[in-house]
Amino acid sequence: MGKITLSQVTKSFGDVQVIPPLDLEINDGEFVVFVGPSGCGKSTLLRLIAGLEDVSSGRIDIDGAEATELPPAKRRLAMVFQSYALYPHMSVRKNIAFPMKMANVPEDEQKRRIDSAAKALNLSDYLDRKPGQLSGGQRQRVAIGRAIVREPAAFLFDEPLSNLDAALRVGMRLEISELHERLATTMIYVTHDQVEAMTMADKIVVLRAGHIEQVGSPLELYRAPRNLFVAGFIGSPKMNFIEGQTAEAHGAHTIGIRPEHIEVSATEGMWQGRVAVSEHLGSDSFFHVHDTGLADVITVRASGEIGFRHGDTIFLTPREDQLHRFGADGLRM
Amino acid sequence: MSTKASRAAARLMISPSVILLLGWMLIPLGLTLYFSVLRYNLLMPGDNPFVGFENYSYFLTDPGFTAAIWNTLALVLGVLVITIIGGILLALLLDQPMWGQGIVRILVIAPFFVMPTVSALVWKNMFLNPVNGLFAHLFKALGLEPFDFLAQAPLLSIIGIVSWQWLPFATLILLTALQSLDSEQLEAAEMDGAKPLSRFWYIMLPHLARAITVVVLIQTIFLLSVFAEILVTTNGGPGYASTNLTYLIYVQSLLQYDVGMGSAGGVVAIILANIVAIFLMRMIGKNLEA
Repeated sequence: MGKITLSQVTKSFGDVQVIPPLDLEINDGEFVVFVGPSGCGKSTLLRLIAGLEDVSSGRIDIDGAEATELPPAKRRLAMVFQSYALYPHMSVRKNIAFPMKMANVPEDEQKRRIDSAAKALNLSDYLDRKPGQLSGGQRQRVAIGRAIVREPAAFLFDEPLSNLDAALRVGMRLEISELHERLATTMIYVTHDQVEAMTMADKIVVLRAGHIEQVGSPLELYRAPRNLFVAGFIGSPKMNFIEGQTAEAHGAHTIGIRPEHIEVSATEGMWQGRVAVSEHLGSDSFFHVHDTGLADVITVRASGEIGFRHGDTIFLTPREDQLHRFGADGLRM
Repeated sequence: MSTKASRAAARLMISPSVILLLGWMLIPLGLTLYFSVLRYNLLMPGDNPFVGFENYSYFLTDPGFTAAIWNTLALVLGVLVITIIGGILLALLLDQPMWGQGIVRILVIAPFFVMPTVSALVWKNMFLNPVNGLFAHLFKALGLEPFDFLAQAPLLSIIGIVSWQWLPFATLILLTALQSLDSEQLEAAEMDGAKPLSRFWYIMLPHLARAITVVVLIQTIFLLSVFAEILVTTNGGPGYASTNLTYLIYVQSLLQYDVGMGSAGGVVAIILANIVAIFLMRMIGKNLEA
C-alpha cells in the first residue's frame, strides 16, 4: 500500500544544494518522523515526496510505481500543512468534501465519508461552520479530516502542531498516534521537536543540512546515537559532552553522558562542581553544574526529592555503562 | 477614552473637522436643492421666481434624458466588466515570477497617472482618428476600410478609453489581493487534486471577492461622473449617442446658462447614484464583512 522509496534524490535551489543525494525507505504502515533543526531540509524533503517541489535528480517510488514526475494529485498522498491551509470561504463540510469533489466521488459516498470522518474527529457539531469560527485544535482536525476522506496511500504532516499551545499539542499528539493505530496507513511527520519525534515515531529520521544523520527507532537513537549530532539532538535535556583528559581516559575524543545517567551526591563522587541553576519540576529536578573542570556546564537530572540550591557543592558520578564514546571525527566508537 | 472629561475633550477636538465637513457638503447640497426649484437663467437676469418642480419636469422630459440614463449605466457597467475581467487576468499574469517584474508593474500602472483629458485626446487623435489614427493605419494595412470609431460607435469608444484608464487601478488592487493569498492553500488544493482552473474558481476567486467589491464600489463612484473623456472626444454626440447624465447636466446648465435646470439635473444625478449604491450594497456589500 504505502511504501515509499527515495533513491539518490537531490534538490538544488539555483546553485545551492539543499538535499545532497539521499536514500530512504519508508515501509507500509510506518509512522516515520523527520526531525532536525530548522533549515535542515526536512520540510523540503516532505515537499519532494508530496510533489510540491520537483526533485533535481534521483527517483521516488510510491507503492512500487515510479512517481518522480507525477503531479501531486496523482500520488495518492494527503498533506496536513503547518497553517492547516483550510479554505476560509468554505464550511467545514465543504472543506472536507473538496478533494472528493475534485475527484468526482458520488454524492452519497461523499456524505458517508464526511460523516465517518466527522465522527472520528469529533467534528460533527461543527460541519456547517466556517474555519474562522473554529479553535486551533478544531482547525487541525478539519485539516486531518480533509486528508482522511481521500483514503490516501500515505499521510504527510508538515509541523502540524507548531501553532497549538502546549496542552493542546499533547492532546493532538495522542490523537494523531491513535489515528495511525486505527488507520494503519503510512504517515510521514515533520517536526523540529524531538519530544514529538520520540513519542510518536516508529522510525525517526534525523536530518542535518539535508543529510540523513541516522535512521532508527526512538530507543535505538536514544541508546546508540551514531554521532555527536544525533546524541545532542535526541533526548531532553541534552546529553553532556566532555572532552580532554577525562575523555581520553575512556579511550575516546569525546564522551557523552545523559543527564539522567549521572548520580548526584552531596558528599562524595567522581566529579565535584557547584550548582548554578536548579530547576524543580516536582517529579524531577534539573541541576546545571558549573566549575567541574570538564565542560562549561553539566546538566544533571535527579529525582524531585533531591534539593540543591544555587552555590551548593555537588558531587557527580556517571554510570559507566551509559557512557557514549565518540572519536575525533564525531562518530560513535 | 473612558473618562467623562476625555470623552468631552474628544468631542470638542473633532468638532471643527466635523463642522467643516458638514458645512462643506450640506451648504452646496442645500443651495443645489434651492436653485433647482427656481427659474434661474443667467441669460435672463432679474428676479428668480419660485417655480416648484418645473425644472425637474423639463429635465426629466428632455429628449436626451432617457438616453443619458442608459448611456450612464452602460458606461459604468461596461467599464466595470472590462476592468474586473481584464484586471483579474492581468493580475494573474503579473503575479507570475518573471524577469523585469518591477518595471513591468510600473508600466502597467502608468495609464492611471495620465489625466483623463490627455488620455482621451491621445486616444482620439493617435488611435481612433479615421485618417491618421493607428487603428486606421492597421485597417488599411489589412486592406479594410478605416472605421470611424467616434462617429460609428461613440459610446463603445468611450467605454474603451475609460476602461484603459481604470484597468491599472483594478489590476493593482487585485494583484495585491492575489499576493495575500496563502500559498499553502493553493498547494493544499493542488494536493487535493484541483486542476489550475478549479484552483482559480474555488480558491482564488473567492479570495478575491472582497477586492473585487472594493474595485466595483470605488470605480462606480468615479464612473457615474465621467465627463472629460466625453467632452474632448464626442461632445456627447452624435445626437445623444454618448451623452451621460453628467454631460447632460453640463449641456443644460453651462451651455444654456440655466442654473435652475442644471441644479435639478444634479439632484436627479444624486438620486440615481444612490439607487445604484443601494443595488450595489445589496448585491455585493456582504463581501465587505469580515
